[in-house]
Amino acid sequence: MALTVEEASEAYQRAMIPIAPPGPGICRVCWGFVNRDFDSCYPCGHQPDNLKAVVPITYSENLGQIHLALRNYKDGNSEGVRRYAAVRLAAIFWRFLARHEECVARAAGVDGFDLVTIVPSSDPERDKSSAFAQITGWIKPIESRLERVLEPTGDVKERGFAAGRFRATAALAERSVLLLDDTWTTGGQAQSAAAALTAAGASAVALVAIGRHVNRDYEPVKGSGETCGDLLDAIPGEFSWDTCAVHGS
Amino acid sequence: MFDHDTLVSTRERAAVLALLARRRVQWNRLAGSIEEVGSALGLLDQLEEADDPRLFAVEGAEVTLDQLEERVIAYENEGIHLITVLDAAYPMNLRMVHDRPPALFVRGALAPTDERSVAVVGSRRASAAGLDKAAEIARDLVAREYVVVSGLAAGIDTAAHRATLDAGGRTVAVIGTGLRHHFPSQNAELQERLGRESAVVSQFWPGQEPRRWTFPQRNAVMSGFARASVVVEAGNKSGARMQARLAVEHGRPVFLLRSLLRHEWAKTYAEHRPGTYVVDSGEEVVAHLERLYSDELILTT
Repeated sequence: MALTVEEASEAYQRAMIPIAPPGPGICRVCWGFVNRDFDSCYPCGHQPDNLKAVVPITYSENLGQIHLALRNYKDGNSEGVRRYAAVRLAAIFWRFLARHEECVARAAGVDGFDLVTIVPSSDPERDKSSAFAQITGWIKPIESRLERVLEPTGDVKERGFAAGRFRATAALAERSVLLLDDTWTTGGQAQSAAAALTAAGASAVALVAIGRHVNRDYEPVKGSGETCGDLLDAIPGEFSWDTCAVHGS
Repeated sequence: MFDHDTLVSTRERAAVLALLARRRVQWNRLAGSIEEVGSALGLLDQLEEADDPRLFAVEGAEVTLDQLEERVIAYENEGIHLITVLDAAYPMNLRMVHDRPPALFVRGALAPTDERSVAVVGSRRASAAGLDKAAEIARDLVAREYVVVSGLAAGIDTAAHRATLDAGGRTVAVIGTGLRHHFPSQNAELQERLGRESAVVSQFWPGQEPRRWTFPQRNAVMSGFARASVVVEAGNKSGARMQARLAVEHGRPVFLLRSLLRHEWAKTYAEHRPGTYVVDSGEEVVAHLERLYSDELILTT
């Protein structure tokens, strides 16, 4: 049976939160909420940035509905539960990329992406049965350009950026790469992947992730009483497919 | 994530109730926090290091964790089963929604087939046509082996429960009071019957009386328990309308009977709320469900 991308992508639409406009208080790399005295969040300020653009589709509040969908498509308790979320998340990517891949390319300073690949799991065993690889395989607009060119070395267990976390499995000289991931939390995984792609010769790497994970209770300015939850609630308007974080950039 | 196959101790389950009583964590994030830590006792320890002795306000009494454990056993002896988010028996659909309750009190027994639950809800003061429609939809759902969920209220809810029973189907009630109460009292017998033959579910302490706030909270649980919600008749201020909103936020389909379109709220939903479908019959609801929950789903433009 067939479900249209439009219908499937709308299932979680009421839970999606538009990305805040750039400016003071927003990390210039990853769109997280930061103290206005800084232009990037702590992780982005302390790890190499090999991404020409980072474009999350929605904020994903810790333990909120999007966060649960992003977890359940991989770890849900039944095949039915995993499938329900997986199809709908694939549709979100599909619809977003069909509409905004051009914006991402423009923000990254390239004409387009010749290669689309995914951020692998750090655990080689887990990476073999990657649910994320499965759902990205369903996305028609990237089908002909989608290729796994990264693999986990298995050498890095701890979280955060590590240049040796992944290795490229192909030479990427002069190729512009669109990297996909389900969630951006600190960006350690994605930046490790971008570093490996760059080391293999990629001319430009940009990333699209479904959810920019946000902890509702976190205060960007400690002791201010203003939490990320307050800042999320203050983002004007509802999520719309007609715009993106780098729209018309 | 934690391992659902591990047997959960009574003390762990009492700790879930303690956390519920303590209200240190926002109620709609408590279940998720317990799951993340993987242990209610663990979370309790994280939150309460400074408190000694630990007392929890439960139904008008200050009790210790030991006493809460005794209560869990006493509930069990009364035929009230406590199912926490740590238990494998916690309903599959409900586990997927962000505002799932950390604990459910259940009379009767939940079943694996409850994953095929569909909520049928609507007004307490329903028209004769509305009651007929609710019954017809319930029969159509039973014919395709769906479990019919409703709230045991007068009107549409009662019609949906009764038609399901008459058709030989399984029907589960998610109620807006504690399990020791019946609301309305005319449905006491029906509630007893569902407690014997299927299941009556409540997220409230067993002694919780009906309150204005209990019913909308219940609608969130009913939406989460079911794959989809069907709204038969519902005015502007009804709980069924509330359930439609919650279901859409949960990423679950909402089916509105066409006759609802005379209400402004339903028109707005039909036009602007993704995941909302206007239908004329139970057969149409079933056709949508078979498609939306198909195992062999492919995406097309």
